[in-house]
Amino acid sequence: MSVLLQQLVNGVMQGALIALIALGYTMVYGIIQLINFAHGEVFMVASYGGLATYTWLLPEDLKKVPYVALPLMFVGGIIVAVIVAVIMERFAYRPLRNAPRLAPLITALGVSVFLQEFVRNVYPNATSNLPYPKVFPEGALSLGGVNISKTGLLLVLLSVGLAVVLQTYINRSRMGRAMRATAQDPDTAKLMGVDPDRVIVLTFIFGAVLAGVAGILYGGYLSNINIDMGFQTGIFAFTAAVLGGVGSIRGAVIGAFIIGLIKTLAGQYMPGGTQYDYVWIFVVLILVLVFRPQGLFGEPERVRA
Amino acid sequence: MRKHSVKSAAIVGAALLVLAACSSNKNEAGGNNGGSCDTSKGTLTVGVVAPLSGNLSALGIGIKQSAELAVDEANKKCTVKGYKLAVSAQDDEANPAKGAQAATKLSTDPTVIGVVGTLNSSVAQTVQPILKEKKIPQVSPANTNPTLTRGNDFLTAPKRQFENYFRVCTTDDLQGPYAANYLVEKAGKKKIAIITDGKTYGEGLAAELQKQVTKKGGQIVGSEKVGEKDTDFSGVIAKIKATNPEAVYYGGEYPVAGPLSKQMKDAGLNVPLMGGDGIFDGKFIELGGKEGDLATSVGAPTESLATAKAFVDAYKAKFGKEDYAAYGAFSYDAANALIGALATTLSSGDWSDSKRDDMLANVGKYSGSGATGDVKFDQYGDSTNKVLTVYSVTSGKWKDVETGTFTG
Amino acid sequence: MSVNGTSSGKRSALAPLGKPFAIVGGVLAVVAALLPWVTFGLNDGNWPDKSTLQFFDAPFEVTGFRWHMLLLGVLILVATFAPIPSRGRVIRALGWGTALVSFVNGAYITVKGGGLAAITALDGAVAFGSIAGLVAGVLTILAAYGIGFEPVGQWKVKLSTPLAYLVLLASFAAVLYAVAALLTTGGVGAANPYAGAIFLSFLGFAAGVLGALSGVGFIKWLSALSEQHRVFSVIVLAACALLLPFTDAGNEYWMTVAANIGIYAATAIGLNIVVGLAGLLDLGYVAFMGIGALVAANFSGAATAHFGIALPFPVAAIIAAIVAGIFGAIVGSPTLRVRGDYLAIVTLAFGEIFTRSAQNNIGGITNGSNAIPGIPQLSLFGAEFNKSLTIGAVKLPAGVLYYVLIVLLVAATMAVFANLKFSRIGRAWIAIREDEDAARAMGIRTGKMKILAFLIGATLAGLAGAVFAHKNGTVSYESFKFLESVTLLAAVILGGMGSIPGAVLGAALLFVLPEKLRDFADWRLMIFGLALILIMRFRPVGLIPDAHRRAEMIERADENAEEAHEEAKRA
Repeated sequence: MSVLLQQLVNGVMQGALIALIALGYTMVYGIIQLINFAHGEVFMVASYGGLATYTWLLPEDLKKVPYVALPLMFVGGIIVAVIVAVIMERFAYRPLRNAPRLAPLITALGVSVFLQEFVRNVYPNATSNLPYPKVFPEGALSLGGVNISKTGLLLVLLSVGLAVVLQTYINRSRMGRAMRATAQDPDTAKLMGVDPDRVIVLTFIFGAVLAGVAGILYGGYLSNINIDMGFQTGIFAFTAAVLGGVGSIRGAVIGAFIIGLIKTLAGQYMPGGTQYDYVWIFVVLILVLVFRPQGLFGEPERVRA
Repeated sequence: MRKHSVKSAAIVGAALLVLAACSSNKNEAGGNNGGSCDTSKGTLTVGVVAPLSGNLSALGIGIKQSAELAVDEANKKCTVKGYKLAVSAQDDEANPAKGAQAATKLSTDPTVIGVVGTLNSSVAQTVQPILKEKKIPQVSPANTNPTLTRGNDFLTAPKRQFENYFRVCTTDDLQGPYAANYLVEKAGKKKIAIITDGKTYGEGLAAELQKQVTKKGGQIVGSEKVGEKDTDFSGVIAKIKATNPEAVYYGGEYPVAGPLSKQMKDAGLNVPLMGGDGIFDGKFIELGGKEGDLATSVGAPTESLATAKAFVDAYKAKFGKEDYAAYGAFSYDAANALIGALATTLSSGDWSDSKRDDMLANVGKYSGSGATGDVKFDQYGDSTNKVLTVYSVTSGKWKDVETGTFTG
Repeated sequence: MSVNGTSSGKRSALAPLGKPFAIVGGVLAVVAALLPWVTFGLNDGNWPDKSTLQFFDAPFEVTGFRWHMLLLGVLILVATFAPIPSRGRVIRALGWGTALVSFVNGAYITVKGGGLAAITALDGAVAFGSIAGLVAGVLTILAAYGIGFEPVGQWKVKLSTPLAYLVLLASFAAVLYAVAALLTTGGVGAANPYAGAIFLSFLGFAAGVLGALSGVGFIKWLSALSEQHRVFSVIVLAACALLLPFTDAGNEYWMTVAANIGIYAATAIGLNIVVGLAGLLDLGYVAFMGIGALVAANFSGAATAHFGIALPFPVAAIIAAIVAGIFGAIVGSPTLRVRGDYLAIVTLAFGEIFTRSAQNNIGGITNGSNAIPGIPQLSLFGAEFNKSLTIGAVKLPAGVLYYVLIVLLVAATMAVFANLKFSRIGRAWIAIREDEDAARAMGIRTGKMKILAFLIGATLAGLAGAVFAHKNGTVSYESFKFLESVTLLAAVILGGMGSIPGAVLGAALLFVLPEKLRDFADWRLMIFGLALILIMRFRPVGLIPDAHRRAEMIERADENAEEAHEEAKRA
């Protein structure tokens, strides 16, 4: 029993991380129908940005004060992520907005490879894993044999909290309305005075902020980072977004938790064990796409011009 | 427009002239000479085949630079009379097909006297036959798969596979069982869980360990696998925790092992994690390796080996960093074995294709003392250095616990 | 439109200077060729071709990049005075060539020599060759803007058939010579420390000359001519490919590389059916090649094969192709319900499942991480394919038989592709690619057609995989990862989606460039990523665009340009 509970807790924590990234995917896809493969790399770059902030910008005496160091790392990571995302949107994706659909997808693959290799070549010692500074709440709570890591708890709270804030913002604010309008019909939205470029850049920025938060938390939760982290987590996050129904905030979060749970539970209980845990994720993904292509919470796909 | 471009051209030109006074790395000897040695007979090349790009490049670059260090030292010491030595490092991208291309490229160069590499056993499989055709000796610093030297039935009916293939590292069927003996007999851990990364090195090591543990009366309580790119191991840890292991054996390398050890501790599974020479690295502790974690490594402890310290110092002096990674010292020894054999071969005349048989024989007969201990090869091409040492993390550092050889 | 605006603006300032600049540029390029380029012999050995040559030392002994500079200079002068069409374009291309050659050599010497002293003045030695060359290149480019750009020349020359054959033969022979020269520049051995830079310099020269030929209208004329005599061209081209082993590039190393290129090219042609014709993006395509390779390996009689039987290669290859085809149909079946980007994700998922399962030795047939080594070499009448071959007095390099086999394989896949493309099925695929709903409305059974695309594509990949297994002797899951799928896709796109020679050219470039630029291995993947972005940005149709596709893309590009123009007006 406690194993099941432990695996559920683990699954939720992995899901929370995936959710933060999945939100970025789902928003961008919702607005410009682009699978931004490079979004996982934005998350990776943010992690390195946070580490760089800590290593080179923070004075020695502040490094030991978590209440100062941690927020500053968040700020540093998020700034780097936003800069990368804005440059990416402006120079890689915007010129292709009316190109055939394959073109931006391939560009996204290119951006992804480029960012990974750029960090590997430029960041000192990035060829192997780098340890992350210990500025996070250490240790774990133990409840009836179930371990709950404190950083993990922070991760879950932040992830759900940010998703709720985002959902509210999109539903209530003026800008949120503009986003929804652009997602539904960019041309009409334009006629109504919405500047699509601004909306799209803002979407990328929101995604980058969330990925930035995820990047820093990832480092703290797992204590080390590497240049590959974006690719795998990114694929899971995209899977989560598709599973929940692309374009739906709620769907992305729930999809992410489902992915996290499948991974830990399949590893525990399915034949083949941990060797095949993520094969199951993809099997579920394929089944969902075949039998409910719009995802769990999405609307049926519109045929777009 | 015109004025503008003329002006900017003038500025650029002026700037170039100013910069002209700036540095160059012109080396007084210039041209073909490498120091004061006689290099009148030309250049001979030590090839390196390793992953120099992509996510294994840290290990590959360590191999390449350590070989360069060995060659540099040989050039300074005039080890090979009459010739200058050079390194030609080829990227195999950890991909067998690319490895074959790299090997073919080296094998078509008549100046290549031997090859240091590869990192991956699967790449070695494509490289071996190509180099064999041309009788070019290959000394691997990192392939631990016993089948590469002794064939599929390496325990029962060993048979030499490629007469040109040697290795300076140890094989899984020594290191794995040695670790098993230590865990079961010395440390008294009867219930052992195994985690591997699914790659050749880790899988082979864990499989050999598993056999020996059962033989010695221990019990394998769980056997799990983590993905190559996985970083969150909570699911695997929770699963093996439920089986209450007394120790965890990890087949793989430090980038995963360090975080794994830390996550085990965080999850309340506070038992030692043990691994092979792939985790015996300072970075393992940096990345989260905890007190009491264990590793086996080839050769006697570094502190007792002057040659090992000399390697580390020389490497740091040349490259500024100690990033020779897990296989640097092995690569240094491998290159030195080739250079030593070459010096012997050339004592009876100049280099030509007809010397290749001699060269192979001399590599087989080579004997020296390197950064990892004694370097010598047995009749299969394996290292005769079967001394293994168990290390444990003690107050933030690897400390040797026991040195010995595997006897069964 | 906007392009014209800027160029006419430049012309107004530069127009009177066009000819003088070109003359000065040409002369300066010739002078640069004769100047010393390096102040001292570099530490790794002398930079090639007497780079420390004194002023006008030996004007008749220039070789290598100096010879290229000299040629470019003379060509610039000829182009300035000779009555040729579209003079501006020709001169611009030659100027770029001159600038590139100078830049590559100068920059490399600067970096290797440890500072600008290496290309300027040091210890009384002066070497301004690269700077003079660069200035010559820039002047020539400016001159081209002064002269202005007329449309590419139209040649009205009509040739009688025998004469046309002769011209084609000569042209293809020149192509063969150029390819061999391109492959062998910088030496074939591993010892030349400058091979990468020499290659880049040669590439600059080749680009300049090619650009000039294209500007003058020759390339257009030639391609029209070869279109006219298509059968003859194809035969000559195939013959040229088979003649490569007899050139300088006919050594074991390039045979191995060329064979690998061929294997990937055949796979890329299969992918081109799926992506280029049917418009279905597949991100896990390399898995089919992997399946083919695994099947062939298991039936090869290798020691670790699951089935202890050694089938003859043709039989094993056919089984491999069929099995891969079946998997193709399975992977393609979700296309009945899943479209567009979602389909891409499904194929990516299949690819990942394949790698994971192969790594875990599923069903005992992949041998997991130990791979299946020791797959026997192919042999024909007792001649092993990896050994060298002696026909009469000619000794052919090792691996030449693989090369021949693979050239035939590529030719066969190209034939399959061409036949399909112009058949009823091909037209159905293109219709689906353009508008699936409209295609369905026109009575095309879209589901069946899409699965057929996957099936045929996967079959070709499986066939290529079977050859791959024997050629490399080892089948490991590591050869079939996601990055390989991306590389294949990049080959298709770079060459031109849906175009027949495109995939071959794309695969060749993606394999030859990293081989030639091994010096820069660290940056290989980064440049690859950047190249993908830039191609999509500036030439989404690829290098050899499919005629139909080109029309469609350029139309869209025009729309984009108009929009951008309007936006600019508003701002």
